[in-house]
Amino acid sequence: MTQTPTVAAIEERRPLTERLGRVRVASWATAALLIVAVVAAVALQPNLLSPYGVASTFATFLPLVLVAVAQAIVVIGGGLDLSAGAIVALSSVVAVQVMQGEAGSVPLGFLTAIGVGLACGIVNGLVVSRLRLQPLIATFATASVFSGLALLVLPSPGGTVPAIITGTFRQAVGGVPVSVLLVVAVAAGWLVVRHLRIMRHIRATGGGPAAAFASLVPVAGAQLASYAICGVICGLAGLAVLGNSGSGDPFIGGDLALGSVAAVVVGGIALRGGIGSPIGAIAGAITLSLASTILFALSLPTSWRALAAGLVVILALALSALGAPRRQR
Amino acid sequence: MKPTTATRARTLLRDPVVIAAIIAILLVVVGGILKPGFASPDQIVNMLRVASFLGIIAIGQTIVVLSGGEGIDLSVGTVATLGAILASRTMDGSDALLVPGILLAVGVAALIGLANGLGIVLLRIPPFVMTLGMLGVVGGLILVVTGGVADGRAAPSLVQLVNGRDVLGIPGILLVWALLAVIVTLVLRRTTFGMQLYATGSGREAARLSGVPVGRVTVTAYVLSSIFAALGGIAMVGYSQQVFLNLANDLTLPSIAAVVIGGTLVAGGVGGYLGSAIGAIVLTVLTSLLTTLSMPEWARIVVQGVVLIALLAVYGRQRKLRT
Amino acid sequence: MTETSPLVRLSGVHKRYGGVRALRGASLTAAGGEVHGLLGPNGSGKSTLGKVLAGSVRPDEAEIELAGQPVRIGSPRAAARLGVAAVYQQLSLVPELTVGENLVLGSEPATAGFLSGRAARRRARPVLERLAPALGAVHADQPVRELTPGQQQLVEIGKALLREPRILILDEATASLHRDQVAVVFEIVRELRDRGAAVLFVSHRLDEITELCDRATILRSGETVAETAMAGTTPDELVRLMVGDVQAVEREHGERPSGRVRLTARGLAGGALSGIDLEARAGEVVGLGGLQGQGQSELLLALFGATAATGDVEVDGEPVRLASPRTAAARGIALVPGDRGTQGTLPPRPIQENLAIASLGRRTRAGVISARRERTAAESMVEALAIKIGGLGDPISSLSGGNAQKVVFGKWLLTEPGVVLLDDPTKGVDVGAKAEIYRIIRRMADDGATVIINSSEDRELVTVCDRVLVLFEGAVRAELVGNEITEERLVQAALVIGEETQVQQPARTHGETAPDDTHEGTP
Repeated sequence: MTQTPTVAAIEERRPLTERLGRVRVASWATAALLIVAVVAAVALQPNLLSPYGVASTFATFLPLVLVAVAQAIVVIGGGLDLSAGAIVALSSVVAVQVMQGEAGSVPLGFLTAIGVGLACGIVNGLVVSRLRLQPLIATFATASVFSGLALLVLPSPGGTVPAIITGTFRQAVGGVPVSVLLVVAVAAGWLVVRHLRIMRHIRATGGGPAAAFASLVPVAGAQLASYAICGVICGLAGLAVLGNSGSGDPFIGGDLALGSVAAVVVGGIALRGGIGSPIGAIAGAITLSLASTILFALSLPTSWRALAAGLVVILALALSALGAPRRQR
Repeated sequence: MKPTTATRARTLLRDPVVIAAIIAILLVVVGGILKPGFASPDQIVNMLRVASFLGIIAIGQTIVVLSGGEGIDLSVGTVATLGAILASRTMDGSDALLVPGILLAVGVAALIGLANGLGIVLLRIPPFVMTLGMLGVVGGLILVVTGGVADGRAAPSLVQLVNGRDVLGIPGILLVWALLAVIVTLVLRRTTFGMQLYATGSGREAARLSGVPVGRVTVTAYVLSSIFAALGGIAMVGYSQQVFLNLANDLTLPSIAAVVIGGTLVAGGVGGYLGSAIGAIVLTVLTSLLTTLSMPEWARIVVQGVVLIALLAVYGRQRKLRT
Repeated sequence: MTETSPLVRLSGVHKRYGGVRALRGASLTAAGGEVHGLLGPNGSGKSTLGKVLAGSVRPDEAEIELAGQPVRIGSPRAAARLGVAAVYQQLSLVPELTVGENLVLGSEPATAGFLSGRAARRRARPVLERLAPALGAVHADQPVRELTPGQQQLVEIGKALLREPRILILDEATASLHRDQVAVVFEIVRELRDRGAAVLFVSHRLDEITELCDRATILRSGETVAETAMAGTTPDELVRLMVGDVQAVEREHGERPSGRVRLTARGLAGGALSGIDLEARAGEVVGLGGLQGQGQSELLLALFGATAATGDVEVDGEPVRLASPRTAAARGIALVPGDRGTQGTLPPRPIQENLAIASLGRRTRAGVISARRERTAAESMVEALAIKIGGLGDPISSLSGGNAQKVVFGKWLLTEPGVVLLDDPTKGVDVGAKAEIYRIIRRMADDGATVIINSSEDRELVTVCDRVLVLFEGAVRAELVGNEITEERLVQAALVIGEETQVQQPARTHGETAPDDTHEGTP
């Protein structure tokens, strides 16, 4: 016991057992929910494990997974983005119109989707950080603007997505479906982004805005960046939606915004900011998506499915909220 | 020192309620200029009629936002729809069952509000999360109750109340709305509950330390929110005479917008219903104006968003971080 | 190597907060290679002066020279650029980030936008090495919220050291540290000094000041009253300089209270309290003294039912279960809390509502409030307490500190309380209103209420109290009665207790001290 603490002892990583013991309840809850969901889904629909099953399930997950990651970054920074669904819609229809179904314009289409997402994100970021409007209402308002613009670009569902996109989406590389690879890529992408200094500043701004400010962290800039990054990822989600559906739809994304918030909460990320990881949001998105698959497979009378889904969501939300650290009063 | 007329006028002009009212009037006037007939008494009455549904739902949302603690009720739209469905099924086109229908709808709504309130107060679940989850549950309940088929018809007297022009040429529903507005404002300003609500919203800890039962007040706020949502839904059924599965679902976010436009602070503790009522009118008039101008739908939606941001920028800003 | 020309020179610093003048022409001169103490009683402005130098407070007027160059310090960022770093008791650590991440917060080394963990660790290593003996069992990848307050404070200090400041301000930075941790910090400070930096040490711990500082500046009521070299100055002399000439402070108290015992508490414990017994009579004003943060506020909150505590409480001979402020108020207990903004008032609400909120039941019928009786009640309080307001409908945030505090008093007076608990009631209140509040307190006691008052100003306790209980670490350690209550005795009692216990128990852990029985004076 009489060990003089040395810097080496401080610098060495904590023993695994200690780190595991300190993992928040919410994270255990997220992992548990995910495992339960996967086991139940596979048990009820064994053909989910078939290559086709895996590919199509992941293809359906992908948009929500992407938007959940985007939302996670904003929420970790202490904000909220209710316009995420609208950004997905807008970037997808702009990309469709730009590509006009031609394989040659695909790179341009990609860039456009990302560019539109970025622009929308910057608008959100400016409104929240410069105008200092409350994120909930402000992004609800910008959602209107983005949805309206989507309607302008593509008044009704239509347009064709270049076959090369939809085709690639349905293929497999080395036996692994592209859609799975993309989900993995998203997770890998996060592992890169988390080492960006701006991401550290975003987390500090969410976890302790006054402390961050006192530490000379550029708080307004970090907020702006979080919304911008969110917009870019939503732009990518727009492309994923196109890959799934094969045509443009300005009305898509209606449930994505609130669904991504649910995924974020189930994923153990605190709504007040500073806590959690987008990996949790991915887990939350997959859990929620699987939940609807499970309910479908349970052959519940159609009318009961939605209620069951709602109860599951509320249960998951309650568990996560209970596990989260108490808000300071 | 008595304020001069000039300073009084200036303070008045900065009052969000006044600003909202001026905007509403401006919109009507502009509409009348751009499209003759827009500002006719008939049209105005129609717009007010449609605004009343949003306005009644906004009563509950106002109370919840006033209660503070980032209070918000995302489930009002679905609760309104559920209330409409339960009421219309019970009524099934018969006046005799009008009252039981309303009672059933309000009763179920109260239970939903109770669940919201208890989750928020006892389990300390953030209001946003709790009511978001409840939104899904109520949506599911709607499907269970209807089996996916929207049936049920409004009682004739309800239809007459909303669509008719019985009282001095004004639809009865407007008088109901006005009456509710008066009652709510009196409750907020003149009862113990009202004062405790404002206290809870403007300084939860200070209120608690002054002996205010903050938990009880908060739960009551959410119960009231669901009740008024149900009432708004019932009124909507009178208008459309039959129910749709998503009758009022889209009214949730506008109800929040109406509250904010009306000057009630999102942080709670400041504001009142009058502003929300005018906010509901502003939103309805804006939508009508944009529709009548044959503005393409996309432009309508964009303008709504921009207008909301502009209004928020004028008086919805948050505090700076630097002390 | 000490430089002869001053590194820091502040002069003519003025700062006013509303009606309160925190600094009036204060000044300070410190040389490079010097540890300079900044001391004074509570409310003397020593913290504010430090914050002016650190850029987090913008003075109304000030002349600042650093190394002979006149500068303007308009923000913390400007201060950082000038080589000033500050450590406060309220930390600037983000709870969920790790120790390592917090150390470099705001100045993370990065290449092309990517954090360089290795560079960060390299930069942090020397600081961590110096702090290691004091930090104890801590890992750099632990979130800071898992650390004890003392460890967190050390991380905060490390963060400032990492910026390699030429001027370091430590503002009550040793408050949550154990003696051995303090020793390590002192070594670090001395090393910093020997490298030519100037260290400003703001503290009320006289023993630390005498041990560490080379020179000291003493503030009182916002003015610099003395500057002295520490060599050859005894703690007693410092006390006298802080407190000023022993003036006959007018004691506003009447005869020895002989009313019946109204409030009894036995064994109050929980949180910061470690077993408090007290007895107070009707018509008596009992003060709570000692260094701030020894459980005074917590005691009042517990007596009001605002925080959970074990123990027995009796009011007028009947046991009460204080489950909530609501039940306490129903038994005639009132609390004027310490934080006016978040606990005492409802800032955006009108003055009339703030006055009415605790006594609504008295003026309602079936839940409906009688507007007329509300107004009458409010007006009567405004008159009785001489509250300067524009109109009853104005928000209470429009009032000066003193008047707002009177409203809080008025709120509770309308409930006709038997026990009045006051937590630092004149904090941030100007001199005139202070005197009026003392008169209000005296009147309440004369009308038969029992008053228990916690104050950060010893002078106040002298003026108002019949008896003072000096607290240390959540228990009563000393009692001063009647004419024993003087500023010098209060300061001495507070500090002596602190020193004694520190010396006797070098490796104490929080909350394990045994109650001590040191009563001075006859009960």
